[in-house]
Amino acid sequence: MTKLTPRQKNWLEGTGAHIGTASKNGVPKVIVVDKAIVENDSTVKFILSEKQKELIVANINENPRASLGPGGIGSIRAAYQFKGVASLKGNELFVNVDEIYSTKPGPEAGLRLDNLPYEDIIRFETSRWADDGPPR
Amino acid sequence: MKLTKPMKDALQIIGKGGAIIHLTTSSLHGITNTVAERFITVFKDEYILIADMFAQKTRVNLNENPTGVITLAHPVKGRTWSFSGATTILQEGLPSDFEFEGIKASEVLEEWGNWAEKEPPTEVPPDIRPPRMVQRGVIIMKVIEINDYSPQKAGDKIKT
Repeated sequence: MTKLTPRQKNWLEGTGAHIGTASKNGVPKVIVVDKAIVENDSTVKFILSEKQKELIVANINENPRASLGPGGIGSIRAAYQFKGVASLKGNELFVNVDEIYSTKPGPEAGLRLDNLPYEDIIRFETSRWADDGPPR
Repeated sequence: MKLTKPMKDALQIIGKGGAIIHLTTSSLHGITNTVAERFITVFKDEYILIADMFAQKTRVNLNENPTGVITLAHPVKGRTWSFSGATTILQEGLPSDFEFEGIKASEVLEEWGNWAEKEPPTEVPPDIRPPRMVQRGVIIMKVIEINDYSPQKAGDKIKT
């Protein structure tokens, strides 16, 4: 099972994400939510406005796959992409993350992280970034 | 459609680290990919260009489903814009008369095929700068629709 690192959680919670969804025939729709809560190490919860929900509900119902890129300054400092299965409960969007990629520019762009041993992911992060989340 | 001056300015910030966007593409069957991109500009008022730095999944998606969504990620204040439209990758080696949505590939590549030379990424902090700027081509979107993505107006169309 995928387990987000403390750094990944801190960035997602602090800066939210750009959330990519698509219809089953590939028409993309994106919403941007500036905060999140990480539950159970791998589920990211977003609270949506009515309009945000309206925009993606049809996509999620026919195709629950979603991709997340950290928002705000997270788009610069938190070079990750999270992918998973999305579900809506009322105005809450849950994304159960099952793939994590590095999007760090250069040779490590696209490197899959979640299938590495957890200690190796932590080592990867601490050797490449000095922070453990957005400035507090 | 044409971008407004504030939109063009936001997408072409020179200095202070520049603008960051997220580009979302999708496979033909709806598997999306959302990645941050830093080397961005506006071309002829209605096209957005991004340096293609070996964006592998983006390329696979665009090869089978040439459409994308660009959402402004930073700086965002008052700029909660989402741009969507036909999207592809232009690369050296295409036939000399290759056109995409009314633009010649050669025209784009001549000007933006060597981004590092035109706009050196020297001001990007070393820990987030590509170790070496290796560019393979230019991702191009012809903007067809612009929407607001702020929570209260998400999806509302913006007229220019």
